[in-house]
Order: sequence, then C-alpha cells, then structure tokens
Amino acid sequence: MSAPAVSIKGRAFGDHLLLALVILLSIVMIAPVLWVIGLSLKDNAELMADPNSVFHAPYTLKNYINTVGTSSVFIWVRNSIIVSGGLTLGTLILSSLAGYGFARLNFPGRDVLFVIVLFGLAVPEQAVLVARHQIFSMLKFHNTYQGLILPGLSAPFGVFLMTQYFKAIPKELDEAAMLDNAGRFRIFWKVLLPLTLPAQATLGIFTFLGAWNDYFWPLISATKKDMFTLTVGMASTQTNFAQSEGIGFLMAQAVFAGAPILIVYLFFQKYIVTAVSGAAVR
Amino acid sequence: MTADIEIRNVSKQFGAMTVLDHLSLSIRAREFIVFLGPSGCGKSTLLRMIAGLEAVDSGEIAINNERIDHLPPGKRGIAMVFQSYALYPHMTVRDNMAFGLANIGVPGKVIEARINEAARILEMPHLLDRKPGQLSGGQRQRVAIGRAIVKEPKAFLFDEPLSNLDAALRTRTRIELAQLHQRLQSTMIFVTHDQVEAMTLADRIVVMNNRKIDQIGTPMEIYERPATKFVAGFVGAPAMNFVDATLDKSGENVTARFADGISVQTEIASSQLTDGKYTFGIRSEDVRIVAAGQGNADGVVDVLERLGERTLIYARLGDGQQIVGSDAGNSRVAVGDRIGLAFDGQKSHLFNETGRAWHAREA
Amino acid sequence: MVDRLAMTPTATLAAGVRAPTADIYAPQWRNFIFVAPFLFFFTTLLLFPLLWGMWLSFHKADTFSSGNFVGFGNYVRLYHDKVFLQSIWNTFYFVLLTVPTLALIGLFLALCLNRRTRTAAVLRTLFFSSSVLSVTIVTLIWRIVFIPNVGLLSTIYGWFGATAPAFISDPNLAMVGIAIATIWWCIGLPMMLFLSALQQIPQDIYEAAALDNANRWQTLRSITLPSIKRTFILVIIIQIVLQFQLFGQAWLMTRGGPNNLTKPLVLYIYDTAFRRWDLGLGAAASEILFILILIAAMAQYLVTRSRGDQA
Repeated sequence: MSAPAVSIKGRAFGDHLLLALVILLSIVMIAPVLWVIGLSLKDNAELMADPNSVFHAPYTLKNYINTVGTSSVFIWVRNSIIVSGGLTLGTLILSSLAGYGFARLNFPGRDVLFVIVLFGLAVPEQAVLVARHQIFSMLKFHNTYQGLILPGLSAPFGVFLMTQYFKAIPKELDEAAMLDNAGRFRIFWKVLLPLTLPAQATLGIFTFLGAWNDYFWPLISATKKDMFTLTVGMASTQTNFAQSEGIGFLMAQAVFAGAPILIVYLFFQKYIVTAVSGAAVR
Repeated sequence: MTADIEIRNVSKQFGAMTVLDHLSLSIRAREFIVFLGPSGCGKSTLLRMIAGLEAVDSGEIAINNERIDHLPPGKRGIAMVFQSYALYPHMTVRDNMAFGLANIGVPGKVIEARINEAARILEMPHLLDRKPGQLSGGQRQRVAIGRAIVKEPKAFLFDEPLSNLDAALRTRTRIELAQLHQRLQSTMIFVTHDQVEAMTLADRIVVMNNRKIDQIGTPMEIYERPATKFVAGFVGAPAMNFVDATLDKSGENVTARFADGISVQTEIASSQLTDGKYTFGIRSEDVRIVAAGQGNADGVVDVLERLGERTLIYARLGDGQQIVGSDAGNSRVAVGDRIGLAFDGQKSHLFNETGRAWHAREA
Repeated sequence: MVDRLAMTPTATLAAGVRAPTADIYAPQWRNFIFVAPFLFFFTTLLLFPLLWGMWLSFHKADTFSSGNFVGFGNYVRLYHDKVFLQSIWNTFYFVLLTVPTLALIGLFLALCLNRRTRTAAVLRTLFFSSSVLSVTIVTLIWRIVFIPNVGLLSTIYGWFGATAPAFISDPNLAMVGIAIATIWWCIGLPMMLFLSALQQIPQDIYEAAALDNANRWQTLRSITLPSIKRTFILVIIIQIVLQFQLFGQAWLMTRGGPNNLTKPLVLYIYDTAFRRWDLGLGAAASEILFILILIAAMAQYLVTRSRGDQA
C-alpha cells in the first residue's frame, strides 16, 4: 500500500502534478484506440477527402459489414482458434504430466533432466528458428496446423510452472492415496490434478494469448493465405496503406481483430495478471 | 480384523546418518501400543516403515507371520491417520472414505454400508456430503479415522493425530480414541511425543530415544520402574528429581549420599551395583514436606505451584541443588520457608553413567 | 505386486533368497512415461534444432543442401557486413530507448496506482490492456497515428498550427517512433511487476517512517525504492531480453528502413534466412543474437536466484 495519509499542506500541489501526469499518460494510452475506432466508423471516401471528418457525424457501420463480408478474416480467425486451442490443450496435457513426473516421481536422471529443461527457458525463439524451419520443410509440415502447433509444445515454461505447483501440494496426500491402493497415474488423475485448476487456468490463458498473438513463426511457416492466423493475415493486409481498401476499412479490421481479445482479457483479468507477474517472479 | 506385528532387527539410514539402529519389537493382536519419544528419535520413521512409506534398509517386518516389507503400502492391510489428516480437499467426506475401497473394486453396496457404519460409530453421518474445507479440525480428524475404519485393516497407525487439536479437544478425542479401541478391538499403533497421551491410551509403551528403544512396558512399568534415566525423566510431570550421589554399599541395601551430608536409605541391593558415579532419582510425589530437621534434608522454598489437588514445592538444598516435592493442596508453606524433605526410600532410583537404572526389589 | 525395487546392500547379507524391500521413492524407469511426451517435443523441437542451428552456422547452406563446411566463414562475413553491424547497433539503440523508459514509467505508474480505489483499478486495467494485443494491431494503430497529414499526431499538431515530426520516414526519428509504439504496447508488464513488489513491502515500515516524520519524498527514496531494488533489476533484465528480440514492429512499421536504420538483429535474420535463403549466414546471425541474449538471461537467472533467498 502507498504511504499512509499524513496530511501536509504542500502535498496538494505535488498530488495535482502527479495526477496530471497520470491523466496525460492515460490519454496517451487510450487516444490512439479511440482514434482507430472513430476511423473505423467513417466512410473511406469521406476520410480521404477530409481526415478531420473523424470528429463529426455521420458515422457508419459499413466498414464492419464489409469486414464480415470478407471471407479471409473468418478463415484466419478459424485458423487462430484451431492453432491456439490446439497448442493450449497440448501444453496443458504435456505440462501437467511432466510437472507431476518431475515433482513427484523418481526416475533415473530426473534432476539432470530438469536442469536441462530449465536451461531451455533461456533459449530464444530465434536460436532455433532456422533449424526448425528446415526440419518442418523435410517433414512437409509447413502450411499445416501441426506445423503451427508443434513448436510451441517444446516450451519449458508450462512444465516449470506445473512442477512448482505440484511440488507445493503436501506429499501426505500422495501417501494417503498410496495407502488407499491408488497407482501413480490414479494419484495424478484423481487426487492431484483436480487441485491444480488455478495453475491450469493461468497456464491455459497465458498459452492461448501467446499463441494467438504469435507473429514470427506463423509468418515463416504458413505462407499460403488460407493458412494464415489472424495476426499474420491482418499484417498482410497492412502492407499498402495508400492503395489499400481504405483506411476506415483497415481500422474496422483492426477493431474486429482486437476486440475479442480485449473482451477475453477483461473477463480473465485476474488469471492473466497472475500468469504474467507470477511467471516473471519465478 | 486384527493382527500381531513383528519387527525384527530393523535399521534405516538416511544417507550417512543412521536413523534406526537394529530395532526389534513384537506387537500383539488387539494391543494399543504407543511409540513415545522426543522429536528425531525415529518413532515416526518406524511407523512409516510399517506403513510402507519408508523403505526398510535391513531387517524385516511381518504381520501375522507374513513378511510385508516388500509389499507396497496399499497391499499391507494397514490404515494410517496422518498428523495433518491428508484428506482429499476436492472430494466430499463420503468420497474420501470410499476412495480406497473403490480403487480395489469393492462393490458399491459394500462401500456404502461400511461408510454408514463408520459414520455412525464416529457420530458424523451429517457430515458425509461436506468437503474437508467446510469442516472443523476435530471433524476432519474423525473423517481421517473414518477413512481408516472402512478399510477394515489389520492394524491402525496413528501419526501424532492429536497434535493439531487445541487442548480441550485433545482431551476429549483421547477418550474417544480409547473408546474406539475398545469397540473395534483392533491393533493400534500410536506415535506421539506427549507422555500424557502415551500413559492414558497405551496398553504398552515403546519409549524411543536416539534411534533405539529404551524400554517397552505397560504405562505403570514405565512409570514406576523406568529402565533408563531418559525414560525416567521423560515420563511423568513434573520431571523426576535427579541429584548426583555417591554410594554407601556397606549395608544390604545401598545408601545414597548427596553433597552436604544428606543420605537416603534405598531398597536397592548393594550387590547389584559397581562403583562409579551415580545419579539419584525420586519423583516429586515421593518427596514429602515435613518440619525442618525432621526429614532426610532441609531446604529453603524457592517457588510454589498450587495445582489444586496438591502443591508442588521447589526447594533449594544447602548445596544449591533444587528438589521438587509435593504437599497437600492447601499447604501452608510459603516462599522462603525452611522446610524438611522426606524421601521415600522404597521409591528411590539409581542411575549409572550410561543411564541404566536400578530400583527397589519387587515386593 | 512387486515393483522394480531398490536393491540394498544388506539384501546380499541375508541368508537365502529374499524379496528386496519396497521403496516407493526409488527411481523407476517406468515413471519416465509421464515426462516422455514433453521430453520428446523438447528434444526434437528445441534441443536438436538448437544444436543443428549451431552446426548450420558453420556451413554454407541453403534450402536444398547443407552445403560445404566453412568453419567461421559465416561469422567473418557477418563481421564485414555493414548491414549486420548496423542491425546490432540498431538493436542496442532500441534497447537503450525502450528499456529505461519502460522501467521508469512502469515504476511511476505502479507508485501512483498502488491504491485500492476504483479509479486506480480501472487505470491499472487500462495500462495493461495494450499488452494483450498482437503486434499486428499495435503497429496498425501506431502507423495510422504517425501517418503524415492524416494521422492523429498530425491532427493534434495541426490544432496548434505545427507540423508533426515524421516518425516513420525521418531517418533520425524512425527508431524513436518504433520505440514509442513499443513502450505503449509493453508498459503493462513492468507496471505489474512493480505493483506486486510494492505490495510485498510490509505496512509497518511505512508506519514507522511516518512516526519518524519522514515526508513523502524521503519515504520514497529511503524506504520504497531500496525495497524494490531487486525487482527493478529484474524488470530491466526481462525487458532487455524481450526488446532484444524486436521484430514485428520494425518489419510492419518501417520494413527496417529508411536505409536499414531501423533494422534490428531479428529482422536481419529473417531477411537473410527466409528471404535470401542464406541459411548458414542466418543461423550464424541467430547464434550471435543467442549469445547476447544468453548473457542477459544468465544475469536474470542469478538475480532471481538470490532474490528467491531473500523472498
């Protein structure tokens, strides 16, 4: 919490200055978004003639109707959903299993392997890009869903998160279950996994968001227009601003693409924030 | 169901450290036996070895004459109540109790019947559909016991189950545990560091110290004829008085001499004792308060503790050592008074340097 | 059911044949099955490509063949490649622009918004919401804002009768423009990290300071800031690692221009490996990037390790 309210007269000015700064920053944060929304609600021709027309009526939903009419966007959304959903599901399954294995089970080389996985956290995407691209070329995985989903499954973050979470559950629960004649998998499935739901939610949302917004890998792996994810697809329409279908239309696309994510964010705020600050505080 | 348990020459190491050193013990069927000892003495480890949660490094454990130390925990026919209860938080009480039986394929009706019977015995049928998070500490403990009962095990293991309860609840639960034992007539092994729990619940107590068993006996045996100085000091409150003494073996029975010329006539045969340094031990209830000059020793009263039914008098001898004695509850003694202490020679104990104990001959 | 068990030395001492004791915590091969699926992907798609990438960097490779072994040849070429050196410089410049700014603004916001009022909560949400957008949308927004004559910036400058700086096309300002967009995008994370650090400072310290008549500035300087020193270092290092990997904003806003002045290392790699298909060279460049990031990441690991002792 901030310092307790001990009132001193001189604070009033300091307070107002700080307030002004915060307001200024808030304006900087929100003004571009409002601008974009405004642009999306204007007719393209009108905008070309007079940019300032953004500030007054008439407003129109024409651009949005056209966006909906453009089939590509929906294909891209579908791809994004499949890829992000698939990666999230895969990550949750793999990370939970591996997390349990590292946290609770003993097998030869366990500690060494865990350290290696930990080091994997430091490897940036770029260091493995070129080689991955080659591998997938050989396997003919480019422009496929598996090509977009599989690389993400190698990320150690989820395993690290789940391992820490499993370790925090008291061992007595496992022991009681062993005395209850539960085998190792049963203990995982029926006793421990249900207790990890908060971590699953956090990891799931974090993974989904990351996959949805991913740009680099889908850019180089999905080169055919109908395999684009939403992020890549939208970027591809950005190229020629001047000759494009019109600023209003472009902005409508942006809003169309960004709004769902923002809505999801507003709903799942708690988990996203926990994921982000928890992950870095590791 | 009940069983006798045989522990033969069992040892355990954690790395370089020996945690249990060639222990042997026979537990009879239907017995309520308590492993008593301070933290780190190995009692929990021994319990966990019986349960199968720790490996036996050498030696054997057998139930009803069949070796079990090579079996996994679930297959030993044993149920355990953990100190923290270890209830499954996301399952209802009913499911908690059913889990073990469901895992080995016991028919639903049988499970249902057993759960209801256990709930009846423990007076908790109204709790069956709640989750552990909604229960109080005492209720959770019942569920933990209920989970053990439904398995109809050959033996019950309790790992300090009363430690997490508050004082009033602890006393009540102690009594209920004793009643449970009477009712189920099962072998029960109970681990604790609290000597009151041990004394009140046990048929026999196994006093453990420093990785070894110091004594196995009934509560009264442990209390009246402790085998070692450790046992003597650990059991009984307030702790036994220990005074350094030299021995006068001139008579048939030993006379103990303290510094300051105080002497106490014991009923311990002189022939049994070799020479050396000894410690004299006597319990506070065997030290009576008399007028100054009329007992074995005189002392000045340091502290008084009134307990209601008796008063503990902490008196300082001439050489500075402190002795605790007992007087009536309405004793008139005051701090600073000079009093006499009368030691009951028949209840005296002698301990040598290694802690071995001698007592008066049996009557 | 007897598992594969830990064989103890004393088993050989016992007379006759006896089944070894059960140790539920002994290592067993069959427990591998839980970590195997993940390890499969980890090895094939992370470890192996990592090593292969290094191997590739020592070859003259393209998509059709691994080519000839050229030793450090690729690295030498990089050393002499002005564009590569420019891109390293660009990356450092960019990191210098963004990281301190992100840390300071993030800290400022955390200090101001660390209250339980509804306004503060709303503002916290606002400042974090940009972080959930994709780079595509962010760059779309900021390109429109920066567009000469028509964009938001120009419009606002127009109200005061001035011309807006050309953040995209001006060689001196292009990187700054990208930095502004990036700061707008990434401010949420530093703010959140500082917030959680501030919330871990016990209230009693502030009360003691108040009793000691410390004014706000003194409290800030002597109590608050030292308490979050570790977090500050953490934020800096995380941001360094993150911003080193700049790609999308540069590619979409300026294409690395004008004159390669906004071309970061990752864009160079993209260009080299996936447009010119000079895979060996691209791999070499990415190894250089990896080394630079590794140093920063190592520092982060060490800081969090000792922070863990403190926490």
